[in-house]
Amino acid sequence: MLPLTQTLKNKPTQILSQWIGWAFFRDLASGLSLTLSYMFSKTVTEQYPDKEKWVPFPRYRGHHFLNTNEEGDTNCVACELCAKICPCDCIDVVPFEDLKGNRRPKVFDIDLGRCLYCGLCEDACPANAIKLGQHYEYSCENSEELTVGRDVLMGMPRKSELGGAVFDASLSTIDGVHVKEVENGQGRDWWQDIRRN
Amino acid sequence: MEELIPIVVLLAKLIVVIVVLLILPIPLTWLERKIAGHIQQRLGPMRVGWHGLLQPLADGIKLLTKEDHIPAEADRFLFKIAPIVALVATFALFVVLPFGESFSVFDQEITLYLADMNVALLYVLAVSGLHVFAVILGGWASNSKYAILGSLRTCAQMISYEIPMGFAVVGVVMLAQSMSLVSIVEAQSEVWNIVYQPLGFTVFFIAGLAEAQRIPFDLAEAEGDLGAGYHTEYSGMRFSLFMISEYMVVVFMASLTVILFFGGWNDFLVPLPSFVWFALKVGFFIWVFMWLRFTFPRYRYDQLMSIGWKVLLPLSIANILVSGFIMS
Repeated sequence: MLPLTQTLKNKPTQILSQWIGWAFFRDLASGLSLTLSYMFSKTVTEQYPDKEKWVPFPRYRGHHFLNTNEEGDTNCVACELCAKICPCDCIDVVPFEDLKGNRRPKVFDIDLGRCLYCGLCEDACPANAIKLGQHYEYSCENSEELTVGRDVLMGMPRKSELGGAVFDASLSTIDGVHVKEVENGQGRDWWQDIRRN
Repeated sequence: MEELIPIVVLLAKLIVVIVVLLILPIPLTWLERKIAGHIQQRLGPMRVGWHGLLQPLADGIKLLTKEDHIPAEADRFLFKIAPIVALVATFALFVVLPFGESFSVFDQEITLYLADMNVALLYVLAVSGLHVFAVILGGWASNSKYAILGSLRTCAQMISYEIPMGFAVVGVVMLAQSMSLVSIVEAQSEVWNIVYQPLGFTVFFIAGLAEAQRIPFDLAEAEGDLGAGYHTEYSGMRFSLFMISEYMVVVFMASLTVILFFGGWNDFLVPLPSFVWFALKVGFFIWVFMWLRFTFPRYRYDQLMSIGWKVLLPLSIANILVSGFIMS
């Protein structure tokens, strides 16, 4: 209820209509009609991980991957610039000379638990080898598993241009827990579904 | 043999009513969570069964297998008996509720109620007051400050709202010239009582919300400031007995609203079997209870008391006076 002084400033007809409104629960009814309209409006729930999954934009900095050349070998020349620029010292590179005489990494370990996903390694790389992708699901049961090696990094998914949308997905628990996007799915813009009024 | 048939019929009806009442909280918890979700633009439970339909069963299994804990300093006997009192008091309410028109099978008239008392309404008001005992026993026996505060609040609330509720139904009794719920419904076969008693309905409905401990009058359970109210210390099966009785009170309040003001099993526009109409109307009012719950915030304790004593009580007495003047 309004304070008395403010009520007295109003015209008598206003005061009367206000009291009639209160007597017939006008304010309660307006609240109820709002929730009723919400009850039958579209929900904004993203059914992750059962049915849907958010694929981030290509600019997203997620799980690292190592680019490969035509021969299936890594681009990395084991210059260790990424390891040097890394602010949290989470990259560990040991070089060696392969059979073709190229300098390649024998060990390329990234501790994902320490990484802060700044992307400086990407900027420092002279050979276009290390990149940060859109993959973001790597839960595991102990922290040692978060240190990933060269072969895993080479096998990680590359950047996808499809990002920035919610895709149909399915949850699989075979060989760890993964949520896979359905291939032919057309993404939908989650923000469009939010009711704005 | 002939004398045994009514007893068998009565027993069959008793079993049906008890089974239905025990099963009803299962869909109702699901419905409540779904309505809560959709009002907040969420989906609610989705993972167990189709659209989460089996979620209440999963919850039930969880509650049944939980540790049955009794606090060390609690009064063990009273602590154990309180949930049973709650359940018995609410079950006893359904004895007099008529669920539909009587019909006959093999020359045997089957009535869709367990008992047609001539003072059914008085019985209902009296027995619904018994629930207070469960609340105060549970709160007292727990030996916990949250439980006792919650139970004191609940008792004060239930006692003060029973008075306007009792006065609000007097108008209905005056119209039907009877306190039997069956005759009250039969008296509404032409026009429903809501037409003659809109004020009585409003007072009854608000008092009913307070009786059923629903938002905006769920002070006893005020999650933010009291833990959980009188059943703070309860867990497992005993807690679920309290929950079942709470849902049954909701069903009961919805049924009583339908019987007293919305013509009971009398049909409207579409001719359907009488108990179907009754179930539809009760379902609608249960939905309204849930809709209200997720729309309004909670009243403060002093506001609750002043609404009960300063607004609803005078209104219900005025309703009796006006109905009396018009009828005479």
